[in-house]
Amino acid sequence: MAQPRPPRLHDNGGRDFDAKQKRKIAEIYQVLNNEPVDIAPLRRMAISEGGLLVDEIRCKVWPKLLNVNIDDLLPTPEEELRENSKDYQQVLLDVRRSLRRFPPDMPDEQREGLQEELIDCILQVLQRNPQLHYYQGYHDIVVTFLLVVGERVAATLVEKLSTHHLRDFMDPTMDNTKHILNYLMPIIDQVNPDLHDFMQRAEVGTIFALSWLITWFGHVLSDFRHVVRLYDFFLACHPLMPIYFAAVIVLHRASEVLACDCDMASVHHLLSQIPQDLPYETLISRAGDLFVQFPPSKLAQEAAQQQAERTAASTFKDFELASAQQRPDTILRQRFRERLRAEESAKSLLATKPRTNRFVKLAVMGLTVALGAAALAVVKSALEWAPKFELQIFP
Amino acid sequence: MAADVESSLELSLSSSYVGPLPPPRSRILKIIVIGDSNVGKTCLTYRFCAGSFPKRTEATIGVDFRERAVDIDEERIKIQLWDTAGQERFRKSMVQHYYRNVHAVVFVYDMTNIASFHSLPLWIEECKQHLLTNDIPRILVGNKCDLRNAIQVPTDVAQKFADTHGMPLFETSAKNPNDNDHVEAIFMTLAHKLKSHKSLMLSQLPDNTIHLEPASKPTMTCWC
Repeated sequence: MAQPRPPRLHDNGGRDFDAKQKRKIAEIYQVLNNEPVDIAPLRRMAISEGGLLVDEIRCKVWPKLLNVNIDDLLPTPEEELRENSKDYQQVLLDVRRSLRRFPPDMPDEQREGLQEELIDCILQVLQRNPQLHYYQGYHDIVVTFLLVVGERVAATLVEKLSTHHLRDFMDPTMDNTKHILNYLMPIIDQVNPDLHDFMQRAEVGTIFALSWLITWFGHVLSDFRHVVRLYDFFLACHPLMPIYFAAVIVLHRASEVLACDCDMASVHHLLSQIPQDLPYETLISRAGDLFVQFPPSKLAQEAAQQQAERTAASTFKDFELASAQQRPDTILRQRFRERLRAEESAKSLLATKPRTNRFVKLAVMGLTVALGAAALAVVKSALEWAPKFELQIFP
Repeated sequence: MAADVESSLELSLSSSYVGPLPPPRSRILKIIVIGDSNVGKTCLTYRFCAGSFPKRTEATIGVDFRERAVDIDEERIKIQLWDTAGQERFRKSMVQHYYRNVHAVVFVYDMTNIASFHSLPLWIEECKQHLLTNDIPRILVGNKCDLRNAIQVPTDVAQKFADTHGMPLFETSAKNPNDNDHVEAIFMTLAHKLKSHKSLMLSQLPDNTIHLEPASKPTMTCWC
């Protein structure tokens, strides 16, 4: 096993930060040096602050997280791969246009070579798995693996990822993708019902988050370091974690959203322009926290009801428009609240229930470290996140 | 069909009610831009809204939105362009939300790619399914006319197709700097036509109510 070369650390945290990272790197290598490798601590470290830190470690840990044996890689693709592919033209178009995914200082020749590898990598996985369907944005995911682990390992990892985490996006239709997007609003509703109501009234939909979800944010973040940090997190978590992360971004921008015009265009426009300076580590731990509090099983029913609720919301909107002169905000909001009251009390139950056994759950899911080394901080942040629920529990 | 137009304008006008006296709102024209992958939808919309050809564009995933305010006959109008993904799977289940309340549709094909021209009937059919009316103005744009040596779609063929479907045809290049006025003209023509469209006329809302002029049957004209 090669000794770790000093990582390219950023100069933003001073010495403590440096020392902490060095310690973490040493810990990761220690885990990797034990046979058989214990995956649980690797998952925890992929989630916790800084993730896997450097690409050299990612090369070693990503295969473990995906349970891929790097001694058993996909073969080199056959000569006729491109001719035999029905997706070649579309993939070619998308890869040719994906210049922004490559480091800006990379020489053209090298980039072009990687683009060729990217095409082959995508087509090979598609060819071996005829049940999988290419979507625009898939190339944004594959390029991330290509740049970190190189062509052969990338193809193997991406195949595993595509048959698992990305499976729903690769169905013949995007119905399942749409279904996953339907989790977004219920998550937001749990934390900030006002924001949720505002977005429903604007009828913004969820398409602003589509590219976030199906590219794991690779399409929208311009700094590659942020992309790989998120990939560490997502690879170590449940496949629905990206939608929790999307919700956390929207929640993080709540005041901006509420300050904009309550119409589809304004809200869509605001949200689809993702800020590049997001506090990633904080958001990651919030996403983990939300996942524990409101796991997908709890939200599944609400997500399924999204369609019906949307109809109800638009009826409500017509009503709202019709009574535009009756100080709608006050009156209608009261009525709306009344209707929601029953739901709200159900939600407060929902919010308290998981708290009792959350530490058990954390351990099971390997999220403990994501939520901060200190358990106190975890509890504190949870309280900050759910003041409304707290008030309802202790009126 | 008039009801559709009305409700969309109501949304545009009343959506951000902030106080007892709403600020004068500019009217909004919502235009959806559709067509095959890589025909240049993003470049066209970018060109109109930002005034330049974008250095790098990528595949559009889902729907992008661009906006520009223009003054027409001393009235400020916001032109909203909704730029959609070209890949078929997106339009099937994702894009329909964005057809709602549109005032005009722009179909784009790539003049150097005959397949993108042959896809147009599919797009037109798709559009019909999403829009409850045929009265919404539609225009056809052949893009990339600067690539003279690679043209696969002759103008007379395209013109015939446009006539059959009652659409005006524009051939342009989002890239060619000399065509800047042309791209501008396409959308401005559309805005002018929509503005003078009887069914879109409405008074401003000093008294918080919205009056709509009786909608007269619009006639489809060629604006070439």
